Amino acid sequence: MSDQAPTGFETWLVAAGSAAGEHEWLDRQRRHAAEQVRELGVPNTKHESWRYTSLKRLLETGFSRVDETRVDDLVPAGIDAYLVPGLDSHRIVMVNGHYSPRLSALGELPPGVRIGALREFLTSDPDALRERLNAVIGPQQPLFSALNTAGSDDGLVVLLERGAILERPIELIHLAVGMEVPRVAQPRHLIALAEGAQAALIERYISLNPELYCTNSVLELALGRDATLYHDRIQMESPQAFHITGLYLDQAANSHYQGVNIGLGGAWARTDIIARFSGEHAQCRLQGLYLAGDQQLMDYHLDVEHAVPNCTSQENFKGILYGKGRAVFDGRVLVARNAQRTDAAMSNKNLMLSEHAEVDTKPQLEIHADDVKCSHGTTVGQIDAEMLFYLRSRGLSASLARRMLCLGFAGEIIESIHHEAVREVVAEQVGARLESAPLD
Amino acid sequence: MLSVNGLKAKVGETEILKGLDLEVKPGEIHAIMGPNGSGKSTFSHVLSGRDGYEVTGGSVLFEGQDLLDMEPEERAQAGVFLAFQYPVELPGVNNTYFLKAALNSIRKARGESELDAVTFMRLIKEKLKILHLDDSLLKRAVNSGFSGGEKKRNEIFQMALLEPKLAILDETDSGLDIDALRVVADGVNALRSPERSMIVVTHYQRLLDYIEPDHVHVLAKGRIIRSGGKELALELEEKGYGWVLEQEQAA
Repeated sequence: MSDQAPTGFETWLVAAGSAAGEHEWLDRQRRHAAEQVRELGVPNTKHESWRYTSLKRLLETGFSRVDETRVDDLVPAGIDAYLVPGLDSHRIVMVNGHYSPRLSALGELPPGVRIGALREFLTSDPDALRERLNAVIGPQQPLFSALNTAGSDDGLVVLLERGAILERPIELIHLAVGMEVPRVAQPRHLIALAEGAQAALIERYISLNPELYCTNSVLELALGRDATLYHDRIQMESPQAFHITGLYLDQAANSHYQGVNIGLGGAWARTDIIARFSGEHAQCRLQGLYLAGDQQLMDYHLDVEHAVPNCTSQENFKGILYGKGRAVFDGRVLVARNAQRTDAAMSNKNLMLSEHAEVDTKPQLEIHADDVKCSHGTTVGQIDAEMLFYLRSRGLSASLARRMLCLGFAGEIIESIHHEAVREVVAEQVGARLESAPLD
Repeated sequence: MLSVNGLKAKVGETEILKGLDLEVKPGEIHAIMGPNGSGKSTFSHVLSGRDGYEVTGGSVLFEGQDLLDMEPEERAQAGVFLAFQYPVELPGVNNTYFLKAALNSIRKARGESELDAVTFMRLIKEKLKILHLDDSLLKRAVNSGFSGGEKKRNEIFQMALLEPKLAILDETDSGLDIDALRVVADGVNALRSPERSMIVVTHYQRLLDYIEPDHVHVLAKGRIIRSGGKELALELEEKGYGWVLEQEQAA
């Protein structure tokens, strides 16, 4: 074991504000993660989960950490231009991974609901986090999650007590602002819903300019018995940016999780979703829509573990690829030996608009139980000529007709976004992206 | 309005249309009848600009313009409408969004302004009534999960909305029960006007009981072998296609 971090990641390991010494348990977790990073080293394409992706460009860029204490100054024009029209939310804004009180508007919270910034919690009520931080993700973490654990900036903490119901959604906005040097932000979020609690979270990644930077975020989501969480994730990073998300989900008995992942931005956007059922009769619905054009790689890795019987999971991801766009869908559903009556359906459909686009899709079921209902399917296809002719015969130009068919393909996922106001923004964004895409 | 002269077309290596002539004047309804394989659908498809057909001879002029030289959307924008024999299902494509895009594309091509949402919805509701269609249709995806009758009514509804100069109805009666047929025919009749011409392509005479044509043509082996008034359809119904084919051979 070497004492050095793998080249390129040295500054990632330094926690923001170097809060070391504040909490012994946290220091221990960070040290452990840093050790792990050193042990793991930089993965290459021989590693199974990195088969289709090279980290070369990320390492060559050499993203560095920037300690930004006055993040409000980075967004002088304010937040208005980035809000979703008509959305009434409890809003928390992170700028380059740091909490911005000025841009946030948490509003009144009902009893039993606590929402705030991670570092504030660490100061005001560290005990509330002690048993929760790193609990879902566990001590063995993959490289980027370990980097985040060792050197996270700030993030969102949502704690709902037993039976607490939040009517308005929580909106987490990540704003990226370019700095003099390419920098990395490592936001870290924790959402814990106790028994019977209900909430909706809207997470949006937005960049102010088309700049080069890296976001390496980790979310831990813990759903107690009978808890419900709706989670809309809209990733619209800069077309040059690197975006990495590790989303870790633990579901107790009878809980419901519905996540919709919209991936539009980033030169390389990797999302790992690791979901585990720890109680029976829980339901998990993971949906995704990604668009990849020139110089873009949309990279999804799903790992759903049915560790107990009687749970239902659905994984449904759709992609539209054009130009020289690339995508990876690496989905795995594991059904443990005792996880009888598991119901799992995984699907990945891709619409290829150019012969230069590429998708590597690999849905896998690993089933050790004998009484289960599991399916998986994948398609890679082109725009249907009959459909295209039908639309053109009604007067639509070929490019408008193609765009309409693409939106139709994407519609199923967009429709499943929990909040209508967000749905509209996404439909508009997808439409705009397709309009500027070379579809002909 | 439409002049078809000596039209020849093939699919792959097979010649389907072998010199077809047809003259349609404004306001006229022409029925084109013929046995299976006579080239009826090929003719509709060639007029609407579908891929997969190679025109090897002849000409088609629509209001003096060379129709065959136009893209499918240009033909629609010029006022040609094809009611499909098998309307295509477009999952995920919202009907209202589609109709609005179609209407505005055509209006734009004609140099008219695009309709705002309110005016558009008013127009839509008015046209829905003609076809006895329910509002719920507007929220659904185009033709997706529609019954056969709903699909055909949706075609005529689009025609009502787009107000073409020339409508080609390709076996609109196929797959319809008598009630659905009547609704579709009523819709078509409501759209008859001195400026609007129609070509009704059908295998059976039954549709012509409801949509009364000015002219009836028999298409066989890629050519029109006989033309007449509406009484020709009745004669065909009675004597079958064999009768005209024999006469043709004897001639």
